[in-house]
Amino acid sequence: MAEEQRKPKKRMTATKAAASIGPMVKEFITGTNRARAEGKRKLAYTFIVCHHEEILRAMDVLPVWTENFAGICGVKRAAERFLQKAESLGFSRSLCTYALCGLGFDQWREELGEMPPDAPWGGQARPDFMISSGQILCDPRTKWYQAAQQFMPDVPIYNIDLPHPLFDPKKDHREVWGYYHKYIVDQLRGLVSFVEEQTGKKMDYDRLRELVALSDRTWNLVHETYELRQAVPCPMGTGDAMNTMVPLCFMMATQEAYDFYVNLKQELEEKIARGEGEVEDEKYRLLWGGGLPAWYALNDFNYLNSKGASFPAETTYRMVVPIYEMDIPETDDPIEHIAWKWLGYWTHWYDKARNRPGSEPDVERLIEYIENYKIDGVVMHLAFSCRTWHVGLIWQLHQLAKIYRPIPVLMLGGNGKGDKVQRELPSLILESDIIDITSYSEMDTRNKIDAFIETLESVRQTKAA
Amino acid sequence: MTAYYLGLDMGSAFSKGVLMKTDRVVTSYACPTGGEIKVTAERIRDEVLLKAGAAKQDILKTVATGYGSKTVFFANVTVTDMSAHAKGVIHLCPSIRTVVDIGDLYSKVFRIDSQGNLQSFLLSGKCAGGSGRALTMIAKVLQLKIEEMGEIALRSTKKVEFSTGCAVFAESEAVSRIAEGVAKEDLLAGFYRALAAQLNALAERLGLEPDYAMVGGGARNAGLVKAMEDLYGFEIVVPPDPHMTAALGAALIAAETVRQEIKVRQ
Ligand code: SF4
Repeated sequence: MAEEQRKPKKRMTATKAAASIGPMVKEFITGTNRARAEGKRKLAYTFIVCHHEEILRAMDVLPVWTENFAGICGVKRAAERFLQKAESLGFSRSLCTYALCGLGFDQWREELGEMPPDAPWGGQARPDFMISSGQILCDPRTKWYQAAQQFMPDVPIYNIDLPHPLFDPKKDHREVWGYYHKYIVDQLRGLVSFVEEQTGKKMDYDRLRELVALSDRTWNLVHETYELRQAVPCPMGTGDAMNTMVPLCFMMATQEAYDFYVNLKQELEEKIARGEGEVEDEKYRLLWGGGLPAWYALNDFNYLNSKGASFPAETTYRMVVPIYEMDIPETDDPIEHIAWKWLGYWTHWYDKARNRPGSEPDVERLIEYIENYKIDGVVMHLAFSCRTWHVGLIWQLHQLAKIYRPIPVLMLGGNGKGDKVQRELPSLILESDIIDITSYSEMDTRNKIDAFIETLESVRQTKAA
Repeated sequence: MTAYYLGLDMGSAFSKGVLMKTDRVVTSYACPTGGEIKVTAERIRDEVLLKAGAAKQDILKTVATGYGSKTVFFANVTVTDMSAHAKGVIHLCPSIRTVVDIGDLYSKVFRIDSQGNLQSFLLSGKCAGGSGRALTMIAKVLQLKIEEMGEIALRSTKKVEFSTGCAVFAESEAVSRIAEGVAKEDLLAGFYRALAAQLNALAERLGLEPDYAMVGGGARNAGLVKAMEDLYGFEIVVPPDPHMTAALGAALIAAETVRQEIKVRQ
């Protein structure tokens, strides 16, 4: 609790677009509360990266992003009391702390019959139904809403299962993905029927087709916009991208999201033309190689910036590859297209990984960014309570070091002569949590960052021509 | 005027200073850090100067490292303790490539190159498990002086399993083991194995490269070093005065910085 009173310093953003995100998020949280009061639109609790926004928006359902609300509690350092509430109900802190925060909040709201006192941005609105999704092996995404039903037994749940073929170096995933596609299409059609039942409306498939096309355009635009960050100096870093992910993750299938990236793209182009970087004197270009951020400590990005480190790319929340580069069948059916897009994204790096012995799709993705964005080092964050995104990160770094040792440096041998040797890309592993501030120590984190910068500097100074 | 270089390592439990003259260590001093880091830093500086018969203005450069380094107002430069240890270790043992540092609050494993540059590193987490603090806890329970704990474990004849390197649980586990009548030497040897296993988890994540050294206060504990050697299956070098290598490295960095500054000016 004591730590919560220490409000974080406002993080400085490099782009106007990133700075505009706060009010936007506030609006969609307060917007769901307004909608609840008006009672005209149905509200659905749900999760990001499920490729189902088009279906919800086509049927005028307002998504209430429960991970987002927990993240906001984290950013505002206001999560601890909800975590404690959930703990008092018997949930362990080593479960996903987003889930814990949401459960603590819901229980409190249901118990009071109104929002808990000082709920961030007016609080999280009560849903009409909940759409869970057991994808990417995340058990909280299935269990969270089941647990929430203890306090809201009248709120029904629909679970969509979104699998993708696992990587096998000896097999072409295309041999089996037809089965996966059929299964996912069934799941999504089931969701349509469920939402039709809940809203009492029929799906308008023309509208759905339009929204899917809008999402596709936004998706490609995000890719093109982020590719601009390859520029030296880099005009926008990961710190800002933790803001600019909002339209991509929470507002797909809206014109507002598309317009946001049009503006961001223009802003980045202008910055590049002026030679303006995220940091004034860019010395090191870093890749955020995985892990959700510690939302209460986004200032650490500013700390890294102050040492001359810029982050041109991140794997987190950058859930796009251009649709025109995906090797997926064409179809006029919007539901079938959504399912192909899902499969196309998850299998995008499989061919590359098969061609490099010892590699894996996730490692290929790191290599692609390292090469395209001229990366000097990799930073990862291990958030203890989210196994889904974090298990395997260290292993990825090990594989990367094994199969990809790209930095030639000069090392003085005993004879005083400089020998050209290869050394692995420096990496930094930060450890704490997404919103549990008790797992975080600013002093440790900054010490690690200092040591990492010293490592990068030693490489910079010994880099062979 | 004689050129002196001062390296200060302001640790969470102990602070150390090394004074060098040109490229030779003249004297050193260590004392508990206490509550006022600034005062302790000044005290160390004054002590080494007194022993060397030198004055403040004879110090050309001061480099501070360690957890309290940023509060040393008279330091010209601060560096992380891993970088400082790396320079100190490579100066004493040029073949070392992997270093395990057991400090009071944290343990660290890092790899270095032949110039003593940091290559990669891992730190133990926010808790004090696997760190020197756990050693202090056990010393308290067994009513032993920290210096004698290492040697006692070497006399162990019976293998006792100790389940944790956690500073808090280690205390209660030690208390119950004593109640069961386990001999001190066996208990300590078991505890060191648990601690070594915890450090090994860090080391394995990082990946090891020979030769290996152990530094920090924990490296003065022969029982712990042996437990690490048994677990890894290779020899671990403990440099002389392993708790002083960061201060030594800081002094070396001070001397090196001045050399480079002169080069630039020429
Ligand atoms: S475990 Fe991770 S992916 Fe799953 S809900 Fe929690 S934060 Fe999201």
